[in-house]
Amino acid sequence: MLSVAARAGPLAPYLSAAAHAVPGPLKPLVPQVEKLLLDPKGPVLCRESLSGRAPRGGLVATASLNAPASIRYIHNDVTVPDFSDYRRPDVLDKTKSSQESSDARKGFSYFLTATTCVASAYAAKNVVTQFVSSMSASADVLALSKIEIKLSEIPEGKNMAFKWRGKPLFVRHRTQKEINQEAEVPLTELRDPQHDLDRVKKPEWVILVGVCTHLGCVPIANAGDFGGYYCPCHGSHYDASGRIRKGPAPANLEVPYYEFVSDDLLIVG
Amino acid sequence: MPLRARLYSVFFRRTSTFALTIVLGALVFERVFDQGADAFYERLNHGKLWKHIKHKYETQEE
Repeated sequence: MLSVAARAGPLAPYLSAAAHAVPGPLKPLVPQVEKLLLDPKGPVLCRESLSGRAPRGGLVATASLNAPASIRYIHNDVTVPDFSDYRRPDVLDKTKSSQESSDARKGFSYFLTATTCVASAYAAKNVVTQFVSSMSASADVLALSKIEIKLSEIPEGKNMAFKWRGKPLFVRHRTQKEINQEAEVPLTELRDPQHDLDRVKKPEWVILVGVCTHLGCVPIANAGDFGGYYCPCHGSHYDASGRIRKGPAPANLEVPYYEFVSDDLLIVG
Repeated sequence: MPLRARLYSVFFRRTSTFALTIVLGALVFERVFDQGADAFYERLNHGKLWKHIKHKYETQEE
């Protein structure tokens, strides 16, 4: 129907298919009431009788059992709304080619997209960082994992035990005699060959975890055949460098990570 | 050529440069935004933060 109306050209305003009076540019509603072209023969609304109500032939109204009856009108009286409030300034002038401003308009759109992406990337990075950093140890845990030891309180030739991470920690102030004695031990004699100087940072200080490598007893200092440590549980003998010399233990006493902050202060952990 | 059109043709036209622009923009933005926010916070709370009043409580060790 629309195509027929379009083709009718100047006659189009008169050719609208309407059963009811519709105000239009050429047909005001109030002044004169037009005589509606109705086919009085068919009082029952059906396909045939409705086709007679239209000014022209053809189907302008449908009625079916499962859909409400409707009559379609040609809305030639509807004005196209003014969308200029919603248009970009570049395309307000309809006589100008929109192609010239295409890049500028796309630039704005993509700039908005890029800005959003940058903001989301920033937010996502912060969220991920927060969750990942929550898995690392907190400051109080890190602080508990270290122990400070004043070296001046340990006289020469003495061994002191501290508690560090739930384990005994031995700090031994060796005499020069012990240092020389351990340095001269040939590596071939050892079960777990390790030179004395590889186990210490300063030769006079030996720092060891006081857990026997056999079954985890705490060795006794300054005892045993080699003048170092002796494990009373199963009789492992360690020397003054903490190396296993005799007995069932398979490995040397463990050396933890430590550093000398100053001449007097040792930090283990 | 207006600025927006140049922006489009240089940075946004190809997907590769668009992605690169976003990544570099995120790096720059993060730095500027974080430091700016910190500076703003410190200016609002000037004299209340520990690092502003720390010298009052520190005893000089010889």
